Amino acid sequence: MNLLRFYGDHAREAFGLLGQHLVLVGASTLLAILIGVPLGVLLTRRPAWRGPVLGLANVFQTIPSLALFGFLIPLPFLGGIGARTAIVALVVYALLPIVRNTYVGISGVDPAVREAGRGMGMTDRQLLTMVEIPLGLGVIFAGVRVATVVGVGTATIAAAIGAGGLGVYIFRGVSTVDDTLILAGALPAALLALIADGLLGLVERRFAR
Amino acid sequence: MRVGLLSALGLALMGGGCSHRERVVVGAKNFTESDFLAELLAQQIERRTGLPVERRLHLGGTYVCHEAITSGKIDLYVEYTGTAYTEILKHPPMADADSVYRVDSLEYAKTLGLTWGRPLGFNNTFAITVRRADAEKYGLRTISDVARIAPQLRAGFGYEFLQRADGFGGLARAYGLRFAAPPTAMDLGLTYRALAQGNVDLIAGNSTDGTIQALDLVALEDDRHYFPPYDAAPVMRTELVTRHPEVVRALAELAGKLSAAEMRRLNLAADVEHRDIAALAREWLAKNLP
Amino acid sequence: MTAVLEVRDLSYRLPGAGDRHLVTALSFSVAPGETLVLLGRSGSGKTTTLKLINRLLEPTSGEVRLQGEATATLEPYRLRRRIGYVIQEIGLFPHFTVAQNVGLVPRLEGWPPDRIAGRVRELLALVGLDPDEFAERSPRALSGGQRQRVGVARALAADPALLLLDEPFGALDPITRVELQREFRALEGRLGKGMVFVTHDVREGLLLGTRLGLMHEGRLAFLGTPEEFRRSNDPQVKQFMEAA
Repeated sequence: MNLLRFYGDHAREAFGLLGQHLVLVGASTLLAILIGVPLGVLLTRRPAWRGPVLGLANVFQTIPSLALFGFLIPLPFLGGIGARTAIVALVVYALLPIVRNTYVGISGVDPAVREAGRGMGMTDRQLLTMVEIPLGLGVIFAGVRVATVVGVGTATIAAAIGAGGLGVYIFRGVSTVDDTLILAGALPAALLALIADGLLGLVERRFAR
Repeated sequence: MRVGLLSALGLALMGGGCSHRERVVVGAKNFTESDFLAELLAQQIERRTGLPVERRLHLGGTYVCHEAITSGKIDLYVEYTGTAYTEILKHPPMADADSVYRVDSLEYAKTLGLTWGRPLGFNNTFAITVRRADAEKYGLRTISDVARIAPQLRAGFGYEFLQRADGFGGLARAYGLRFAAPPTAMDLGLTYRALAQGNVDLIAGNSTDGTIQALDLVALEDDRHYFPPYDAAPVMRTELVTRHPEVVRALAELAGKLSAAEMRRLNLAADVEHRDIAALAREWLAKNLP
Repeated sequence: MTAVLEVRDLSYRLPGAGDRHLVTALSFSVAPGETLVLLGRSGSGKTTTLKLINRLLEPTSGEVRLQGEATATLEPYRLRRRIGYVIQEIGLFPHFTVAQNVGLVPRLEGWPPDRIAGRVRELLALVGLDPDEFAERSPRALSGGQRQRVGVARALAADPALLLLDEPFGALDPITRVELQREFRALEGRLGKGMVFVTHDVREGLLLGTRLGLMHEGRLAFLGTPEEFRRSNDPQVKQFMEAA
């Protein structure tokens, strides 16, 4: 098939783009977890912040991805052309599912369990690390899974601003009306999303209680 | 009386049924100059022939527009002779402007059912562009000059330039260009910003772009004449030409009237001063073809 | 002998509820080996009183002393580790084994693992659960009665001087409830701890309490032995006995 021949001829380039794509998604998801999980935990401790924070994350989510990339370009530190800007945008998109699921996962812990824990003399941090997070992990992972799958798709657009990744093939294919090129980028991206969904689904089920 | 009524009805039905074909559809590629030229053509057709014209601007790259015209989704658009020659007809690049135009006309008419109109008067070739500071620092005037220091530079190009036979691949071979890393691929519109901001050091812009002047950039001379000529001219569906020869006559008025300097000024007005291209086209027509 | 628990003039006002007090001027004490049963209707302030003792709620005024020390001077979590707490819904950690649940406070207090293991076995046996059979089980695999036995064992793990129990058998079926009440009564004598036991069930109160306190609208309407309670002419007591 044409596609297989294409991959044969361009193996190194294709792997390079796949690697770039994985870096874009991996780095942004990781950052989103590092920011989003503590933020979600904070929301369970400060209920007054819940509305504004979740509302803000929701607004970010509704911004069309190409538009967000465009907005970020002129910014002094976070912007410019390339992978860094793309990662910033991808982090923004990953935040809502992760923050919200962390909040829901932790606040969904049985109140009796929480009361018993506090009543027995657990500090807030012990309650969080020994009870709330372990019990909420399943839901938190569901959020990570959604963020990752969305990230794989959104990362294809990053090629428009010079960030590389599988989107390069797609854009090249679109500008030259070359279906093989388009598929060369779109197919692995779709597969990547499916694999990520499956793997993280396994992890999620293992932790779900 | 009855015959009159019937023929009137018949004409009305025919008119109603064919009304969508009486409309002329003008397409454009996805950059300002192409949009402007499409608008220019559209207004010229409207004012000279009274035919309704629909604009489909900013469609996509060369291949997208070619798809659109061969499949009948648009009736005409402005193409560049060299681009048609190397990208559509797949010939190796050639330098003689007249020969390129002749071959384009003949083969388009014969194999694609498309007719070339008269060139508008300017050549918009690829402009290999660097920042003025770098041009002065390294003494860069021609592309051969930049080939000397290419390993120290980062290049950035749009997707079409990277893919085309008369694009980066051929250029690199013709001049022995070897950059530090493979060029970064990005949306064509972003390449000027990337160059100005220092994300890249060399791009392939267009010689009639207004931004070159506005951003204090320098276009290098193609000393080895690698790029073929890119004369802008309307390409029309032969069907349209046959049915509406008045369209061809109207567009022929534009032949040779638009210089490269003029085009550059118009691009500057549209891109940098953010002026409305429909207004610019109206002004230009009022002044040059009253 | 110092009282295990001393409550003096304890009051609690709900924040932002104007002048409405859930508990008003409560005073009582509990000696080692004594079980004070707090009776009363829903909303009478029984559960609130328990939470004021272990500072899950902060008193508005008044004083609570545990083994002579003012509870207000202790860090809340340190205070709570010295008090056993058993609630109606039990609240066992579903992701811990029975042994891990029981050994929680000792673990928080940094006991060496074998000391914890030994203590767990001892307590499981005490509450009538065979350690070999139950130690490694998940709470999900237990019946309601078994779970509350674990709940009691957990509360006793660090050998607290005071136990607070909030309707511990309320969620169990009548047969299991009676069974656990009987066993608990036997346990009370052996443990020698001070206990405050909240219930709305008069029979349970009369069975398990060394003293009974009847709460009505946040105040202690009656405080005395079960006998005194039965013979009392206090209108509140009579009303409660009739309605119960």
